[in-house]
Amino acid sequence: MSHEAATTAKRPAALPRLDVKSLAKSYGTGSKAKVIIEDLTFTVETGEVVCIVGPSGVGKTTLLKCLAGLQTATSGSAAIDGRVIDGPPREMALVFQDYNRSLMPWLTVRKNLLLPLRHLKLPAAELRERCDSALEAVGLTHAEHQYPWQLSGGMQQRVAIARALAYRPEILVMDEPFASVDAQTRFDLEDLCLKIRDDFNMTILVVTHDIDEAVYLSDRVVVLGSKPARVLKTIDLDLPRPRDQITTRSLPGFAQQRTEVLSLIKRPA
Amino acid sequence: MKPHQLGRGALGLLGSIVLWQLIAGTHLAGAALPSPLATFAALGADVSGGAFWSAVGQTVGVALLGLIASALAGIVLGVLVGSFPAARYSTLALLEFLKPVPPIVILPLVVLILGPTAKMAWLLTFFGCLIPIITQTMAGVHDTDPVARDTARSYGLGRVEILWRVVLPSAMPFIGTALRVAAPVALIVAVVAGLLGGGPGLGKNLYVAQSAGDYASLYAYVLVLGILGLLFIGLSRLGERRLLHWHPSYREEMV
Amino acid sequence: MRKTLYLVLGIGTPVILILAWFAVSAGSTDTFFPPLSYILERFQALWLFAHFQSDILVSLLNLVIGFALASVIGVGLGFVLAMLPKVGEYLDPVIHFFRSIPPVALVPIFVALIGFGVEMRVTSIAMAAVFPTLIATVDGLRGVDSTLKDVSAVYRLSTREKVLGVYLPAAGPHIASGMQVSLQTAFVVMIASEMLGPAQGIGAMTLLAQQSFMIADMWSGILLLGVIGFAANMIFELGRRRLLAWYIGSRQLAKAS
Repeated sequence: MSHEAATTAKRPAALPRLDVKSLAKSYGTGSKAKVIIEDLTFTVETGEVVCIVGPSGVGKTTLLKCLAGLQTATSGSAAIDGRVIDGPPREMALVFQDYNRSLMPWLTVRKNLLLPLRHLKLPAAELRERCDSALEAVGLTHAEHQYPWQLSGGMQQRVAIARALAYRPEILVMDEPFASVDAQTRFDLEDLCLKIRDDFNMTILVVTHDIDEAVYLSDRVVVLGSKPARVLKTIDLDLPRPRDQITTRSLPGFAQQRTEVLSLIKRPA
Repeated sequence: MKPHQLGRGALGLLGSIVLWQLIAGTHLAGAALPSPLATFAALGADVSGGAFWSAVGQTVGVALLGLIASALAGIVLGVLVGSFPAARYSTLALLEFLKPVPPIVILPLVVLILGPTAKMAWLLTFFGCLIPIITQTMAGVHDTDPVARDTARSYGLGRVEILWRVVLPSAMPFIGTALRVAAPVALIVAVVAGLLGGGPGLGKNLYVAQSAGDYASLYAYVLVLGILGLLFIGLSRLGERRLLHWHPSYREEMV
Repeated sequence: MRKTLYLVLGIGTPVILILAWFAVSAGSTDTFFPPLSYILERFQALWLFAHFQSDILVSLLNLVIGFALASVIGVGLGFVLAMLPKVGEYLDPVIHFFRSIPPVALVPIFVALIGFGVEMRVTSIAMAAVFPTLIATVDGLRGVDSTLKDVSAVYRLSTREKVLGVYLPAAGPHIASGMQVSLQTAFVVMIASEMLGPAQGIGAMTLLAQQSFMIADMWSGILLLGVIGFAANMIFELGRRRLLAWYIGSRQLAKAS
């Protein structure tokens, strides 16, 4: 099994936006050590959408927690613009899989958006503007005074995304963000994700187990193998932009690249 | 619980006894704060005497008897009243008023009528546990899935049978919770009846020890009551788990 | 139609019960059950407002101060123990032991230590009522969703924001249930501390009336204590519903679906 690293040769000059180098994570020590991630290497450039796909239980969430500075890697490193991540970086916002557990149920939608902004000491006008534009971007202006639990699952996940947007991160990381919403909502949220990238020149990293989703969203797909997690292959995608749920998915290239990813995952490791 | 947690807990207990010894050693509070050694000595002397055990027996007996009686009466009344909306609405205001009123409020009246007797203590305990058991049982009956009830009816089950096979089982978690909460309350009321009403048992011993200035015994009795309290809480929890582990809503509650 | 009937029953039955008590007890010569009219007469004579300041106010102040102390200490200490899990492990058994002691049993100890004064009563109330809040706070904080903790970390909330903006509201429903038990405990201990010693407060007055065979006075004390017990709980419940409207609303919605 070859561990194919991301092709850094193409971009020799500047530092990558997000640079994951030989990252490994294990719990426990000695003979009892449980290796979750073994030697992951990939990069994400500014304005790129990169998806990490792999079978469920592969340790994708652990990887994200290392990237978000919530956990420290056992060895190797993750860096933003060459700066090693050792705590939650200001440039990054994380959208969690469990929207119903990641929003504060005691705050209205708007106050949920405001919570992470308070300590940034912004003028009131800018706070208002950030909330308004984030809510507008996800189409939830009308729901700003409602509580999250009064909204549908898809709307709650949009609130979580809006909260990330209002925080104005440069890198948006999402952990299986659309796993628990219905199919139609999922398409809408995928397109929202691409729109955000275009509007804000955002760098986006999405973890998903849905291969179609990964191919549809990505400029690059990092395919992980399981137990422990390692990079099977990094595939650059060249599907035309802007993407469209109907036309993009019916392109021959879409089917071909979907098959490539699927065969990697299906193949016995 | 992991072994290191047990160890730490034991160390914490030991530490607080040492702290107690140190504070008692300063004689700041004089005789009112006996040292742990004196307290344990008093406890040892008590434990070897028959009077102590009969006091423990009286307190526990009053608590258990009051609990059992209130459980029987409370469940029957709760099911009866809960089964008929008219009865439920009629009693709503009364029960809502009585629920937060502790039995100590009627202690003067009960003592007046029955005197400082075990019967008085028992009656007070009975009243103290009754209302919460009634209201919880009613809530359980009310919570019965109407689909299950209709299904039973469509299979031609009679009123009593539906009550026995559908309503009561579905009210079980509510009743279980009510009994778990009521068990420590029964012990508390039994102590109140002794301490303030003069009923026989550990409560009365507390009063006697305090007014006689026998502080080592006073502290010893409080320790004993703490152990009894732990037993009541622990056993009622265990009982609830044993009885209701099969029930879906109970499992849900545990998550 | 049916709803009106239930409403009539709901309001009517208590009214009928009180009227029945009034009617049946009228002219009663039974020592233990004097006429309700006489009880109410004594109620007015005693509590409105002859003993209002000397006894009612004293009792209520002790209750409020004791409960407030218990809440502040319980929540504060609970935070410390939950945030320092190791310290919590050392102290858990001790706390659970104190919680298991019937709260009124602590009163004689405080009488021995401090005497019969107001300080004793407030201390007894506070010390007995602290444990339900303390344990509920620790449980509530330990149960805070790990995702919420991660969210707070990712968005780099300050410690103050985490504590006041995330942990406290997340544990709020738990803490409130604990405080409700604390309030009831405080009320019981308030009465017990008055009955055990000093000749002051509603509990003391009621017991004194019983001992001096002034039965109607005793009844009026019981009525007053009943009303206070009910009212205290209701005020707390109203506050809880207001503060935790989000929790109650979300639970109702979850149950309905």
